Amino acid sequence: MKAAPFAYVRPSRLSDAIAELAETRGGGKVIAGGQSLTPVLAMRLARPDTLIDINSVAELGALTSSGPALRIGATVTQRRVERDPLSRGVPLLRLALPWVGHRELRSRGTVCGSLAHADPAAELPAVACCLDAELTLTGPNGHRRVSAREFFHGAMTTALNPDEILTSVRLPVAAVGEGFGFAEIARRHGDFALAGVAVRVRLRAGRPEATMTAFGVSDRPVTRDLSEQLAAAVTDGGDGIADRLKERLAAVVEEVVDTDGDVHASRDYRRRLLLALAGRELPKAYERARDGAEEVTT
Amino acid sequence: MTVGEAGSREAGPRTPRPVKAGADDPVEVRMTVNGTPTVLSLPARVTLADGLRDHLGLTGTHVGCEHGVCGMCTVLVDGEAARACLLFAVQLDGADIVTVEGLGRPDSLHPLQESFGRHHALQCGFCTPGFLMSSYDLLVNKPDVTEEELPEELSGVICRCTGYRNILTAVDETRRAHPEGIPEPGNRVRTALAGRAGQGAEASDGPDEAGDTVSSSVQDIVLPSGAPTIAVRITTEIDLPEDRVWGVLDDIYLLARCLPGAELTDDHGNGHYAGRARVSVGPVKLAFNGVAHVLEQDREAGRLRAVAQGQDTGGAQTQADITLTTEATATGTAMHADARVYLTGRIAQFGRALAGDVSRRMFEQFADAVTEAATSGQAPSGPVKAPSALSLVFAPLLGRLKRLLRGAATRRRPRCDER
Repeated sequence: MKAAPFAYVRPSRLSDAIAELAETRGGGKVIAGGQSLTPVLAMRLARPDTLIDINSVAELGALTSSGPALRIGATVTQRRVERDPLSRGVPLLRLALPWVGHRELRSRGTVCGSLAHADPAAELPAVACCLDAELTLTGPNGHRRVSAREFFHGAMTTALNPDEILTSVRLPVAAVGEGFGFAEIARRHGDFALAGVAVRVRLRAGRPEATMTAFGVSDRPVTRDLSEQLAAAVTDGGDGIADRLKERLAAVVEEVVDTDGDVHASRDYRRRLLLALAGRELPKAYERARDGAEEVTT
Repeated sequence: MTVGEAGSREAGPRTPRPVKAGADDPVEVRMTVNGTPTVLSLPARVTLADGLRDHLGLTGTHVGCEHGVCGMCTVLVDGEAARACLLFAVQLDGADIVTVEGLGRPDSLHPLQESFGRHHALQCGFCTPGFLMSSYDLLVNKPDVTEEELPEELSGVICRCTGYRNILTAVDETRRAHPEGIPEPGNRVRTALAGRAGQGAEASDGPDEAGDTVSSSVQDIVLPSGAPTIAVRITTEIDLPEDRVWGVLDDIYLLARCLPGAELTDDHGNGHYAGRARVSVGPVKLAFNGVAHVLEQDREAGRLRAVAQGQDTGGAQTQADITLTTEATATGTAMHADARVYLTGRIAQFGRALAGDVSRRMFEQFADAVTEAATSGQAPSGPVKAPSALSLVFAPLLGRLKRLLRGAATRRRPRCDER
């Protein structure tokens, strides 16, 4: 369980990091926190020729809030985001972070690293998709911006070219009248989820718009607009929103969960989990959105 | 008891220095481990866990799954718990590491360790370092954690024998006992670390490039609070005026040569020194690395005081608090040596009687050597004697004893009080 030998480069400028990565001609791998990569190296599932450690590139360590977005640099750890008051602007991120691994992993693991690794059962890719975050990819030809919903191409496969580094992610700061929900089911806290959901509800003139991103149920996070279903469940009034919602979500859930079953959970069981989670979190997010809007008007 | 200047904490993690190294090329890593600045030279693929265990001899950090699942190797990196198997040591240039060895001392455990003991929160002990470091991090960074949250918060470490209930009870009790926050790790002191199989780490002053000053990185030497293993008081009469004796005591390098043992390896400034000593007593072989701090060196008052600490690779530890005082007499100078020596680990098994004898004889030899040096104005000469049991007790203090000479011009009145 020791990593195979690799060359190691730790440049202090982004341009040097890009150049070093290009020099490896696809044989290099970028490391920031390494909390997903190191186990892969230890099990020798990957044997990169060179690791390019970006932790000394100062500009990648920035966590800033500029207007309507929170910008998280490539080397910003999950635990730092969890603690920084700036992240309060993105409630969904704060709901999701405690589910990521354990404290001991979040203290080194980075937000961008989790996105670039693109495990289909990981929490943060789902958050990025649900919020339609914008990712900045930097390569020899400069920067390009990619929407999170177009970034994930499959299990551990992304829009990143071999010579590009994910240098930052921009997440929209929540507005008044928005509410969020996040939950997952795992065998043990910190394990990858059997199924999970991130949801965002926006009230526009009293009418809810709802987005759900499911994870752990396909080869990438899957995002669906559930405005119609939520609006219908809500306008019927009275109690039992969750039950009415679940009836309406069954078809979507059926379609979204396309992973094959494994030893931990069959496909059908994952569908049941997802239905339960979505049925629970959407009404919760709706209430939060309504409470937030009321607080402002009163 | 804390002596010495207050060790100042670094402001925060430093940015690692730029590096470019081929596969299996050694890379220099400077980090602070349990308060001691260390320099390692390792291939990039060596994990922090292996670096700590194999290169620094800190085997308290256990290795279980080696891929970040079991939590055995949990340590503090820049104040936050992290898995030492999921970090390459080279990534930690400039980092501040605390391992379970830094949490408490054998004679002064951290409250968490006390509580684990009280509640039988360990059976085989393999997961204990991981649980201690993880729960320390939890209670420091989330002091308002509730009892209900504890199982989830401590889920990053796996126990396979004693069960979690007692561990949770121990952590919860510590939390209740310290509502204002638990004490810091109690064994972050400047000491010497040495690896197995001769792989070395040197104590150093940390990255100079980062503007770190020597004094800011020097940590306190902390003496145990209980009674010393050995207390020695010896008075030697020297047929020379006090000034001549202070000619030796004022010159630390000259003084060092008078101490049986090994060598003074480094001057850290502000009265801090590093040294090492090899001791062989029959089949027992100890190689000590140590540090000493001269707290007082006052010719006018006739007083020199130093504290010292050393450890060998097997975990034997020794600490000493030594005061030399001089006074003018009708025939010359009376020099008193007072020493309180603490032994822990395997050397403690020698027993107090033997250790007391050894200490007393060592001070006699030291006094002889000082007399010789004061008389001749230079370091004692003559054949180098093999390291003896004598330096065993003193190794920490310095490794500075070298030569033993017959003191023709002295009369001794040794009094030894062994406790």
